[in-house]
Amino acid sequence: MIFRNWRALLLATSALVACGKGASNQVAMSPAKRAEVKAFDEALDDYFSGNPKNAAPKLYAFLESSPSTDENYGWAQFFLAKSLIDLRLRHAGNVFLARIAHERGNPAALIRALEELQTATERPHDEQLIEEQVFSSLDLGFLPDETAAFAHYQQGLQDLRNGNERWAQTHFSKLPENTPEASRAKFTLLVTRLRDGKATEDMEEQFLHLSQDKKLTQETRNEAMLAVARLRYEQHHYDDALQAYEKVQLPPLDPGRATLYLEEAWTRYQLGQIHQAMGLLTTLDAPSFREEFLPDKYLLRAMIYRDLCHYLPAKRAAKELTRRFADSLESIREREELTRDLRLKRAANAHGATKRAARFLGSLNLEMERLGKYSGSFGSRLFSQLTKVYDLSHAEASRLYDERLQEALRAEADKLLHAAEQVRLMEYEVGLKLYERVKKGSKLVLPEEEKALLSEEVAYRFEGEYWNDELRDYRFSLKSRCIEENAP
Amino acid sequence: MRTLLLTLSILPSLALAQTEELENPGTIAAVQERQYRMHNELSFGVGVLPIDAFYKGLLAQVAYTYHFSDSFAWQIGRAAYSKNVDTGLRTQLQRDFGVLPTAFDQVEWMVGSDVMWSPFYGKSSFLNRSVSHFEIYLLGGGSIIKLTSAFRPAANVGLGARLYTGEHLSFRLDITDNVVIVSHPFNVPTIQLSMGLNFGSAE
Repeated sequence: MIFRNWRALLLATSALVACGKGASNQVAMSPAKRAEVKAFDEALDDYFSGNPKNAAPKLYAFLESSPSTDENYGWAQFFLAKSLIDLRLRHAGNVFLARIAHERGNPAALIRALEELQTATERPHDEQLIEEQVFSSLDLGFLPDETAAFAHYQQGLQDLRNGNERWAQTHFSKLPENTPEASRAKFTLLVTRLRDGKATEDMEEQFLHLSQDKKLTQETRNEAMLAVARLRYEQHHYDDALQAYEKVQLPPLDPGRATLYLEEAWTRYQLGQIHQAMGLLTTLDAPSFREEFLPDKYLLRAMIYRDLCHYLPAKRAAKELTRRFADSLESIREREELTRDLRLKRAANAHGATKRAARFLGSLNLEMERLGKYSGSFGSRLFSQLTKVYDLSHAEASRLYDERLQEALRAEADKLLHAAEQVRLMEYEVGLKLYERVKKGSKLVLPEEEKALLSEEVAYRFEGEYWNDELRDYRFSLKSRCIEENAP
Repeated sequence: MRTLLLTLSILPSLALAQTEELENPGTIAAVQERQYRMHNELSFGVGVLPIDAFYKGLLAQVAYTYHFSDSFAWQIGRAAYSKNVDTGLRTQLQRDFGVLPTAFDQVEWMVGSDVMWSPFYGKSSFLNRSVSHFEIYLLGGGSIIKLTSAFRPAANVGLGARLYTGEHLSFRLDITDNVVIVSHPFNVPTIQLSMGLNFGSAE
């Protein structure tokens, strides 16, 4: 609270100084100008006394009545933006902050606006407005170090998205080594190279280094460690890949990510640790992952049953995929509109650019509802202006989301078709095995000795109740029914 | 006829179990490293001697326990002092019926040693937000009890529960009964809450 008051005081002081407001100035002012200054002061008073709802319409009225060259114009925009953000109309606030960045009339307000926009990127936000139109087009000479680092990073990122790594490198090279942006830039660069199939020999080493970089968030460090694991998996270094998967650190009681478990399950399967792999597949049946789109899961389960010569369960596990995704497969085959398939749509929305676009669209919907509450207190002019802003943004956000959704849906549909194809092969193979003749003299393969519990271990028998702290620890036990031919 | 009925009643459940086994063969268990393991434990506790009608003892105890394994430990030494508070009954007997104070034997302090066996180790969820680990153990040992009139040996049995709050700290609730070995044995039950400090690891 004290901090908030101090901050408010500092803000007020800086605003007043920057506004050039003072008794001596007021003496020379025209009555109209004096009224404007008074209105601006009242609006600031409202804002600093914790009443952004009253401040916003006054600040907007001031902006409408003042020329953009007015000394208070930039600050009025800034505090209008802050008021709207405080009222949780964040997008509208960001629009006014972006205007300050475009107009660049008040350098002090501009720096504050950029800081606020940088903070805004931590939530669902308009990427085009903030990252492309503001930070990617900034002249970086005048900015404080932290904001400049962020802007350099954004400009480099934009270049990378446009496929221009050399230009991106120019921006990234200007980032001071000890900043989080420098680490993020390295990570982004490596991910882009990996995506574009330009993996280098030392890439694994670099990802490993980033996975221990404390300047990055735990989530990004985990991403780096996952990249290490994937690279090792691709090189068939399954033991090393497993070590990397095990190093991914989850917060206590966090269920983690389904892809992490599935990838670890595949790695363990490749290592012949099929019981542990099946344990991880059990994890993927937990309620936390019930909505996940993981066609591979059924295939791997079927493969494990097949390897243990439990052919009926193998067949059933394989069929589970076609049963569970029957509607989606039908939609794909019939070339129906895939957006109508909720399962595929959920999968498409679950990651990447589509997820970000969906979250931004969702936040816009919420804010548009919220805006309705202020129709009375904002007055018709501000309200209609904000309605227009939201309508335009919503239309653009919807267009962008639809565009990304179509691409993501296609990718998910491909994934499903591929898995269904694998399942058919598996069913065929299992069918052959089911009716295979057993040769005379064949014996059951000696069961693999189950790993006994160590003294420091405890076992909790799983009976369908999932505990988040156990998700990585399930161990499956099933005796092989395979028959050894030509046994002595 | 009875056998047939019995067979018919069991059949559906057997069939169901077999179907389940066929559909989802195998068993699954969560195998985890024990999160908390004890080694050298120094505990400080407070408690009560609740049962005597003539006085109530307020107990303060210190004990040292060595844990050989996760399930077996020796509480090598424990020493408890009892601050006794007379009940109204004793006051009344002394005042109204002239009973001498020496007629009431009280526990003044006691020392002892016990073995601990912890067959139960588990975890529970608190409001679906955190997981707490606990164990339940049995105690058995002997005590020397200093009564007002004399020293007496006693056999001690008890039941306890431990709630782990960290690697080095846990809280114990012990309910024990010292059976004082005299010509007419009597019980000295105790209820104690103590804080256990763990040093070193059993690994």
